[in-house]
Amino acid sequence: MGKRALLYPTLAIFAGAIGWSWVTHGIGVVKDDLPRNIHIPQELTIPLQVKAAYNGRNILFRYRWPARQPSIYHDMLKYEGGKWVRYGASVAGPQPQGIYEDRVTMMVDDGGVPEFARYGGYVTVGDRMRFFTNEAKPDEVKAHPYLGQKRKQTEVGKHLPATRSDPSDWASVVPEDDLANLRKAGYFLDLWHWRAHRSNPIDASDDQYIFELRGSDSGKGPFTDNWDPETKQPRFMLDPQKTGRLALSWDDLIQRKLGFEDIYFISEATAAPFDPAQQWKDGDTIPRRLLRDGEGSRSNIKVAGKARWQDGYWDVTLTRAMDTGSPLDDKAFLESRVYNVAFAVHRNALGSRWHYVSLPLTLGLNRDANMVAARFVGDEPRWDQEWTDVKLFYPGQVSWPHLTSAKHAGSDQIKAGVPVKFRHNEEQLARYGVEMEFASEIRRQWLLTLFAGLLLIAGFGVAVNVALNRSKGV
Amino acid sequence: MAAYHVVLVHFPIAIWMTATLAILVRALSNGTLAQAIERALVPLLSIGLLMGIAAYAVGLMVWPWEALSATPLGRNHMLMASWTTAYWALMLAILWMQGERVWQGAGRWVMAGLAILGSALLGITGTLGGNLIGVHTEVTQLLRLMGWEVYTTFYVPNLTLVVLVLASFLLFAIGVWGRRRLPVR
Repeated sequence: MGKRALLYPTLAIFAGAIGWSWVTHGIGVVKDDLPRNIHIPQELTIPLQVKAAYNGRNILFRYRWPARQPSIYHDMLKYEGGKWVRYGASVAGPQPQGIYEDRVTMMVDDGGVPEFARYGGYVTVGDRMRFFTNEAKPDEVKAHPYLGQKRKQTEVGKHLPATRSDPSDWASVVPEDDLANLRKAGYFLDLWHWRAHRSNPIDASDDQYIFELRGSDSGKGPFTDNWDPETKQPRFMLDPQKTGRLALSWDDLIQRKLGFEDIYFISEATAAPFDPAQQWKDGDTIPRRLLRDGEGSRSNIKVAGKARWQDGYWDVTLTRAMDTGSPLDDKAFLESRVYNVAFAVHRNALGSRWHYVSLPLTLGLNRDANMVAARFVGDEPRWDQEWTDVKLFYPGQVSWPHLTSAKHAGSDQIKAGVPVKFRHNEEQLARYGVEMEFASEIRRQWLLTLFAGLLLIAGFGVAVNVALNRSKGV
Repeated sequence: MAAYHVVLVHFPIAIWMTATLAILVRALSNGTLAQAIERALVPLLSIGLLMGIAAYAVGLMVWPWEALSATPLGRNHMLMASWTTAYWALMLAILWMQGERVWQGAGRWVMAGLAILGSALLGITGTLGGNLIGVHTEVTQLLRLMGWEVYTTFYVPNLTLVVLVLASFLLFAIGVWGRRRLPVR
């Protein structure tokens, strides 16, 4: 046997190693890790359709998005072993019992937050946000003189960069006088926040804002807690005179038997003071949120008609006065003006940061824009204009401090004001978002892959060099 | 540094593509022209390697390491650039050490195949560089169809790393054993 006989096994080993690498690349790192607040949704992008219409007094937004089933249950108290146990709080990843509501949210700006037009919701994702792997601990937040002690926050939520003296430090809130001036100058985002359980059953929506935190407009919201921490019991139960029962059945919830026309929530209209003397039995379940009529600025947004899930899609229409008269809480919609909006959807019993978000879009009222609101006469729009198709994506753990730091190759472009859409699309951003959640693991694996490849090339070089050796003239 | 990198990469790209063409010509022909082209290969690949190393070094200075190593496209570009440069260094070594012997028998077809593989590596590296500055080609879509989404980092699991290391040592062993034990024919 001569050296040339080595050629074929050499080529086979080299080709086999390359082929095996190609087939197996990209696996072994990205996986759920709930203790680190990591859950990767199966679908990284979903579609959303939106329409807007206005009549000079009110503006309406209609949203339509796919969901395999409606998630309309949320935050329940189940009686078990003589105690009321909570199910459906915010958790990392999907709520295990499937008890977490669907949501659609919309951020609105009128130009008061210039970065929002270019980077959308990314500007609201600050340092050590809730449910990030490095989230600030509740004790740290509670101890903060403004956020914790004055605003009663226990976690770091969405906020805008200029509300911090150092945007990469969640705790560096600027002095309250500066906050007040920023707010008066319109440096905040209006946040429309519809929830399938905590507002929809009473045809309402929450009305919030994003500024130094994600807060609620003044007034009363559409829900409040139905829990007495002292007695460790609900404050209210279902009124048997009105609903024919004292509580829901846990089995009905788990089997998703309760639909839109059933009693699956508790409201001021269906509640009675909790009676501990009742013969409560295991499986009795009372919603932990009491729905109520809102008041003031926080109750400005209503559901138009009925928001329902049907044939695999949610169809939700929200309406609000174009000018609510609350300039510190809401962005007023004016004829012939262009606004910046961004949307988000929660579905599949996922809460907190596990949402799908959009890049910013422009909304025009009698102006050219990505989405043009239709002017109508009367009380109800015809909705005969085309849908605006929006691609939503899972954003992962990408924060504004990261994007503006030297760790982001595009930070110089952000400084130069280049919009995110110029360099990235939704699919890319979703994939980058996922990789950010495993940044150190992927970097390590990538470096090992790089060096293993170099080793393979070197080994191949040694072997093929010998195998190609042949006497001259043969 | 980005502008210098863009200028510099033209040289190894042009040289290695020219080398591929030269190797294919030589594989297909024993004619005078082909043999003349063959004699130009070692100097051509030497210059190509020097320019490739220069482009690689300048490329490392386009972004800070913390940004380059945190960006999927940056990682992929660097990975492919490393492999491409090493691979063409290997081609240079083979041609330098074996000379005209590589064109004998099946060797010429092996060299043709290796050159095509080197061009593919070069093409992917260039495509990724284009993606980095926002210039996209159909090669991106082709790679996607072949199973690699270039906006995700190319890495292999630990088991594959073990396979790669074992394959590498096996190849080293084949080389060493063949040189010591087997006759040249």
